[in-house]
Amino acid sequence: MPNTDDFRVKRIQKMLLEMAKGNFFYSLEPSDKNDNIASLVVMLNMVNEEIAAAFIHQGFANAHNTPQCIIQLSLILDAKGQIELVTNGTCSLLSCMPKDLIGKPITELMTENSQRTWSKKMTKHLKRDRSETVLFLEFITNDGLFLAKDCQISVYQALDGSGQKIVLNSVFFSKGEPFETGLPKNKLKVTKGIKEHKVTLTPEDIQMIREVHDTILNNLDKDLPSLKDLALHMGTNEYKLKYGFKQIYGTTIFRFLTQERLRKSKTLIQHSNLSLKEIAHMNGFKSAAHFSRAFRDKYGKTPTDLRR
Amino acid sequence: MTEALMHIIYKKDLCIDLRAAQLIVQDRMMLQNAREMPVLCDIREVRRVNKPARDYLALEGSQWITALAFLIDPPVTDVISSIYLGTHALTIPTRSFTKKSEALAFLKKHG
Repeated sequence: MPNTDDFRVKRIQKMLLEMAKGNFFYSLEPSDKNDNIASLVVMLNMVNEEIAAAFIHQGFANAHNTPQCIIQLSLILDAKGQIELVTNGTCSLLSCMPKDLIGKPITELMTENSQRTWSKKMTKHLKRDRSETVLFLEFITNDGLFLAKDCQISVYQALDGSGQKIVLNSVFFSKGEPFETGLPKNKLKVTKGIKEHKVTLTPEDIQMIREVHDTILNNLDKDLPSLKDLALHMGTNEYKLKYGFKQIYGTTIFRFLTQERLRKSKTLIQHSNLSLKEIAHMNGFKSAAHFSRAFRDKYGKTPTDLRR
Repeated sequence: MTEALMHIIYKKDLCIDLRAAQLIVQDRMMLQNAREMPVLCDIREVRRVNKPARDYLALEGSQWITALAFLIDPPVTDVISSIYLGTHALTIPTRSFTKKSEALAFLKKHG
């Protein structure tokens, strides 16, 4: 039954419905088949991830006027992993009633992979009186959708002497109600400071800024022209480029450039024998000292420390 | 791997997450030892690559590659490669093929 086309299409519909509601934290179980429905499932999962990333980012870049609705997954379990308490948010995330969950072993809600992770890791953590960890767990909702997320797990001693308990927590962002109602405006406002709107970005501007983003990514080893020259080259002005980029990507052009250069450098430090000086130069850093400083600022240790 | 080409075959029903992607890149870079070369990526058996893994493969994981050909088996891996190519700005010539001979010809021309 779970493999009939009809059943698989119904799952896809459920997933699309959740996406329409602004819930991008579900996914569909990938199948081992190689047919058209399987390709749709794969596509839906990937598109969902892309939208979710853009969506969380938007909240981050424009936090002043896009409040997020937060759904908390929160459970208390006994030392055997039986559910003692669930929040309403947990029930709605898993599309279950509280009575369906309470008394059940938590592992019944997980994929086989996560069941293995859970029993392996929790045996270790339950040996201590108190312990905290983060586990990546996949739950299966009542509708058959996947819910995969890092969960904060705390083991503690109950005060009434009933022994060890486990708290499991995770947070999901949802579009939900708190977003502005009414028709979406098709123009994006750039804010400088908190509320003042100074530049309006047209769809063409956004396209242009995306091009700048991709050009930077593709030329990480080269010197970046001045913002003025870059703006001129793109047929815009420095102000729009500068603040538009910040608005869309949540960071400044120079910070973005440095971040991406550092990401590539880190891989080279880890997996190659190239000297740190060579790596710095290959990735567009003017001096090894500057590279080392920027690297430490991002990763908390110097390139030399990472190599050791 | 031959002198001129890196051939990566992903195993059956493989779901690639960030950790898996990092290991794949690590192994590849160790084998290559700083030599740039074209890469043939046989993803026909792959069933899922999640976003952190895709982002990692597109930037950190694209170093020392002169050209990249995906060997795909539509429809599933066709979709995976199309979304990957469509959502990431890639610096190197990259294309998907269903026939190995065509993929090799492409790598020979661009690599």
